[in-house]
Amino acid sequence: MGSILGVNLALLAGLLLVPLLGGSFLAWQIGLFLIYGVAAQGVGFAWGRGGFLPLGNALFFGLGAYGAATVLRATEGALAVNLLAMLAVALACAALAYGLAVLLFRGRIGSGPGFSLVTLALVLIAGQIAETTPALTGGFNGLSGVPPLAGIDPFGAFYYVVVALVVLVTAGLMLIERRPAGLILRALVADEGRLELLGFAPHRVKGWAFAVSAFVTALAGALFASHQGIVTPQSIGFALSTELVIWAAVGGRVSPLEPLLGAVAIGWATAMLRDSVAWWEVAVAAIFLLVVLLLPGGAMDLVARLWRRLRPVSRSKPVSPLPAPPVRVAPPPGGELRLEAVGLDAGGVRILDGLSLAAPAAGVLCVIGPNGAGKTTMLNAITGRMPIRQGRMALGGHALNGRAPHQMLRLGIARKMQVPTVFAGLTVDETLRLALLAGRMRPSDALRRAPLRWRDDGLDALLADPGVPLTAEPGKRAEHLPQGHRQMLELALTLAADPRLVLLDEPAAGMSPAETQVMVRLIRAWQARTGACAIVIEHDMALVESLATEVAVLHQGRVLAQGALSEIRADPQVAAVYAGGHK
Amino acid sequence: MDTLVLFLLNATWQIAALALTALGLALVFGLLRIMNMAHGEFVMLGAYAPVLAAQWGLPALAAVPICLVLVGAIAWLVERLVVRHLYARMFDSLLATWALSILLRKGAELAFGRQFRNVAAPLDGVTRLGTVGYPTYRLAVVALVLAGLLGLWLWYRRSATGLRLRAMVDNPALAQAAGIDTARLSAVAFVAGCLMAGLAGLLLAPTLSVAPGMGLDALIRSFFALIVGGLGTLEGLGLGASVIGGLQSGLSAVFTQTAGYLGVLVLAILFLWRRPDGLYPGR
Repeated sequence: MGSILGVNLALLAGLLLVPLLGGSFLAWQIGLFLIYGVAAQGVGFAWGRGGFLPLGNALFFGLGAYGAATVLRATEGALAVNLLAMLAVALACAALAYGLAVLLFRGRIGSGPGFSLVTLALVLIAGQIAETTPALTGGFNGLSGVPPLAGIDPFGAFYYVVVALVVLVTAGLMLIERRPAGLILRALVADEGRLELLGFAPHRVKGWAFAVSAFVTALAGALFASHQGIVTPQSIGFALSTELVIWAAVGGRVSPLEPLLGAVAIGWATAMLRDSVAWWEVAVAAIFLLVVLLLPGGAMDLVARLWRRLRPVSRSKPVSPLPAPPVRVAPPPGGELRLEAVGLDAGGVRILDGLSLAAPAAGVLCVIGPNGAGKTTMLNAITGRMPIRQGRMALGGHALNGRAPHQMLRLGIARKMQVPTVFAGLTVDETLRLALLAGRMRPSDALRRAPLRWRDDGLDALLADPGVPLTAEPGKRAEHLPQGHRQMLELALTLAADPRLVLLDEPAAGMSPAETQVMVRLIRAWQARTGACAIVIEHDMALVESLATEVAVLHQGRVLAQGALSEIRADPQVAAVYAGGHK
Repeated sequence: MDTLVLFLLNATWQIAALALTALGLALVFGLLRIMNMAHGEFVMLGAYAPVLAAQWGLPALAAVPICLVLVGAIAWLVERLVVRHLYARMFDSLLATWALSILLRKGAELAFGRQFRNVAAPLDGVTRLGTVGYPTYRLAVVALVLAGLLGLWLWYRRSATGLRLRAMVDNPALAQAAGIDTARLSAVAFVAGCLMAGLAGLLLAPTLSVAPGMGLDALIRSFFALIVGGLGTLEGLGLGASVIGGLQSGLSAVFTQTAGYLGVLVLAILFLWRRPDGLYPGR
């Protein structure tokens, strides 16, 4: 909603009115909830943008607060030194968060409970350490008598420091959303597995998201020390962590304004009512539960949805395209794919049983075989989705064994899934932009605007085909497209990164005959243009006939026969196990 | 020598207590794929049963029906209103049960007060083992846990209900098609898991300080035991409880409580990183 500048100017104006209208004591009180609100923004970012729930973010708030208190007590008043030291503490928190997230998310725990519970345990331990090491933290009584930042009066001008932080953080988080980083994060939440095939390592993307979350939360903690003049174990404790989650849940997580609002509204009401209404905290917990069950997007999401209904968005200004940089491939591209005696078990069943196959460096190899022959599993083995038990896999002399799916694109391998997989919540246009980030983007591009304007001749040629309907409705959500259009969108997503080897799993499934012809035309045009190799799994023999330069037949996890289609047709063994035929 | 025996007894006690606490969490996760973040709060509710029995002037044994009714009713209500809608939605069920845990904790603060309570053990006295004396109650609980786990394992493997449960775990849709009322079975499994948590609280109450916030520690240590052992099997539960309980009591004995806790956390992170399926991934 709205431009970054507009939203933040409105926010700034609103916050600057508080001391004018309500006096400095109200401003001091609101200042505290704004600080908490920034911490809640950190939680909301990890949760809403990263798709994982940190239950112990008071850890970073507390580290920021204790760090700042220690620095302020030691240096008294030198503004530059104070600010630098606080920044250093927040950066250290970000580094810690990055390391932790990368470590945990690499272990295949997904975004589930493992991560949340570890962060919860961390904050419990931190609270315990804070209470039991008086030398470092002042123990139970905390570090008191913290001099304010640069001698600014906490009850006076310090409010403006808080407002500056709020506006900076809000603008920063909104900026991330609108840059390549935001697009990648939305794709991550929609479908981690698909994003990984585009060359982005999910654990690192989540690591960055958690680092931002920790950084923001630690900054809030640093100001908290100055604002309160005292830091007690409560500021690193479990209770605050829980409140941060509640604020982000009830307020919402789609825009950074929502957790801020949740924190100020609930925090303020709690401060007013906690002592007079005994059941207030039970009521807050009940509201939290009801929001989780009935309004998963948070209260502000409801408002935002109403707003959108009243005023349909008319954005997507035409942008002048920029030529995309070439794809960055690690080893020199080219070479043929070789599988040697690959064995793979899953759930006690042998799926690939000494599979050996060689694909040409250029051309289209069609893989056919009855259901359960191991065709899709073979692609899973090549792309590192499933670990193989034995055998060797190599592309042009580079071993593929033991590599993760996100490393495939750098080796020049791209894959289209069997079920057409696109990112829910991204529009067609956004999906195509993401397609051009894959393999081309450098880490430093994540926050630049230009990469979102990239265009590439190969992709343009594909989109220009009269049978491809994608440019007609750029604003349509990818998940609302009909099956055939989704197949084409995923094909575009797969081919945009100029791969040398493309793995296409039933690219024409669920397509009308006319659409199937378009698909064949696109694959052939792409192959002729790039001179690369495609491995196509297909049941439709008409499609195989029109595409294949070579055919391999899989049966019970092995290659039964490989050669030209006419040879395969003549093979009595193939006829015995697999009749082929039309769909 | 005596110190060693005492340490071993303490470690055995820790392991048995942890296995008991983690059982309900393992059951609910293993059968329903729901990480019940409110597990610890059911332990807490169970631990308040003897407090209530004492408060109302009832005999100690009355705590058992109080626990079953209190925990059972709340668990049934929770299944009906919250959990039922969230099966097979890992993230949503995580969040909803987390919200629930806060609600139960705050509710307990309101109903029972924030202060710590102590519960008298129904069996006091010390049993002498050679030259070392150990509280009789703890030894009785250890024996009960061992017998209970063995019985449960046999029941799960041998009984018809166990078979239906295993069918549901393996393939809910097929189980339903085969005439198993999975909705009812899930509800029963959830309530049973919560009741086990409650009974764990009841049994451990005399050895702990009972307070509304006691559930967190129970949840986290149970979860770590399951991570290390492997989620979803009784064998894994036993293994995990042994490693976590043993490590924590060892580190706490040699260093400090905080060191014990930190060691457990580091071990759990290592497992989540390198071996997310745990030591006994037998499902």
